[in-house]
Amino acid sequence: MAGYPSTLVEALDRLPGGEARGFRFVTTDREERYFPYEAMRTEAHRRAAFLAATGLKKNDTVALVCPENHEFVLSFLGASVGGFVPVPIFPGATFKVSDHYVETIDHIMTAARARVIVCVQKNLEIIEKLRERRPDVIIVVADRDFSGQAPPFTPPVVTPEDLCFLQFTSGSTSKPKGVMIKHRNLVANTTAFLGPAGLNRTPEDVGVSWLPLFHDMGLIGFVLGTLIVDLQVVLMPTPTFARAPRLWLELITKHRGTITYAPNFAYQLITKRVSEKDLSTLDLSSLRIAGCGAEPIRARTLIEFGEKFSRCGFDPKALLPSYGMAESCLAITFHRRGTPMVVDRVDPAQMKLGKAVASDAGDALELVGCGIPFPGHELRIADENGNALGERAVGEIWSRGPSVNDGYFENAEATAESFGGGWLKSGDLGYFTGTSANDGELFICGRKKDLIIVNGANHYPQDIEWVVGDIEGVRRGNVVAFSTMKDGVEVLVIAAEGNSGDAARLREEITKSVSENFGLTPSSVSICPVGALPKTSSGKAQRRKTKSMWESGELEAHP
Amino acid sequence: MTRPELIQFFKKMASEIAEKDLSGVSEEATIASLGIDSLQMLELVGAMEQQLGVQIPDEQLVGVQSVKQLLDLVEKRAQMKK
Repeated sequence: MAGYPSTLVEALDRLPGGEARGFRFVTTDREERYFPYEAMRTEAHRRAAFLAATGLKKNDTVALVCPENHEFVLSFLGASVGGFVPVPIFPGATFKVSDHYVETIDHIMTAARARVIVCVQKNLEIIEKLRERRPDVIIVVADRDFSGQAPPFTPPVVTPEDLCFLQFTSGSTSKPKGVMIKHRNLVANTTAFLGPAGLNRTPEDVGVSWLPLFHDMGLIGFVLGTLIVDLQVVLMPTPTFARAPRLWLELITKHRGTITYAPNFAYQLITKRVSEKDLSTLDLSSLRIAGCGAEPIRARTLIEFGEKFSRCGFDPKALLPSYGMAESCLAITFHRRGTPMVVDRVDPAQMKLGKAVASDAGDALELVGCGIPFPGHELRIADENGNALGERAVGEIWSRGPSVNDGYFENAEATAESFGGGWLKSGDLGYFTGTSANDGELFICGRKKDLIIVNGANHYPQDIEWVVGDIEGVRRGNVVAFSTMKDGVEVLVIAAEGNSGDAARLREEITKSVSENFGLTPSSVSICPVGALPKTSSGKAQRRKTKSMWESGELEAHP
Repeated sequence: MTRPELIQFFKKMASEIAEKDLSGVSEEATIASLGIDSLQMLELVGAMEQQLGVQIPDEQLVGVQSVKQLLDLVEKRAQMKK
């Protein structure tokens, strides 16, 4: 693969100069700011020098909590040029900022061994609260402290073996895990999914994204990967998308966007929100890739999106379901570009037995094909013992190849659980159709681990259970959070033990607390009599068992 | 837009976005108690911004807890525009 740079820093050096090519940032006040690559490069070098002046040395970590995309990107690149390791963190809840948020940042900084944190003036007040927990924290304010003459600094040599950044899995109140992304992993993954076997980037491509940059799909998909292959992008802030979803499609129309990506929920939302009248002002004929990932994909959602927007030039063959996870940088499998979406209809009863048997019955499950792995990468559907399973047998999805990372930062236990023999054990369940996992079609049908994915964001049940356990009348350890499917969409359910007289109050307080701390609204809160939740012999509430009892209506609950 | 009109608009949009009947919500209610998630909340703010032709900076939304606080904020921004 001659021609590709070997690190992000080399990529930045090699990007064309002049004004012609660069990134376009839509700010939160909806102005557009264009940064030619050359300006980004110059600014990254300046910021590297300012960061070094705080005492950072090569390979030191630095936390980034920036709610403005251009400040985030330029600070990230500044850290990269300086040889430092950025640690992107979710930039704060918009409404009530809870103590749990500051606690989460504190935990992540501890796990990442970060002493320096970069924020902007508008979230400085929140970040200042960190000083109560860590008096020695060094706070750098991007839109204030990076101005004026940069101090003298000679950037170190950054190699493919160096860490590029740490990707912390979201939530993380209890035990944060930081995936170690090295430059070589990043280059391997991004050149695979943006190269000829993936999206096949051309110089004319324009990416349009509102995805958050503290998460792999937005960060690698639309910032780091696009810099490595020189693909121009238009980035809009996530809260702006949430307020005005239509702006996403308006930007594609205006800038002749060719590539975009979003989780399932966003396709569902936009299909609902765009009126017949709005359709006439949109032109999606330039869009050749409309990728979907980060959460379970519902066939119906994408079909309805395709039908509605074909009236403004959208080609449904642009829909590109995909599968991936941070432990493999971003992408693991992609649907074959430019071909119609593949939907497999399977028998739900057989599925419970681990077999994906094709069915035409009315109650058949509809699953969306997520495609094949990239050249140089290997996929396996593994049974309990790690042996490869055959066609239409359900097992754990394993992935191997140069995109797979070395594990979690200073966390040997978690690393041993998910990595081994070069394989990444995803924790997701799937099956393939065709002759082999590497040239057939991968379907995702469940999850081994108890992760909760709502609106494209991953939440750990432990984190939610911990917060609910703080509520008066709920005993810690007697709370279970899990997700269930409702109308084809994943929703959150909470079951907690409590007294019947308290049930109404507890339901309200749990809903409020979960909403404030996680921005999630439980679809259902069950208050169960004391002793009703199934427990292990050591008295730990059993999440799986609670879920199956709740789903079958066997879980006893106060009215 | 008068305050009663603003409340009516809020209830109508909240019901539409949350896909449930929120026409009986009182101003004193906390936003968290309406059972709408953070994403739906932002969409609701966006709808009011569009209706009144104002923009509310994210940082001003921090600390907003009740329906009343939110409507006060929107109203204040609308008056500043005049």
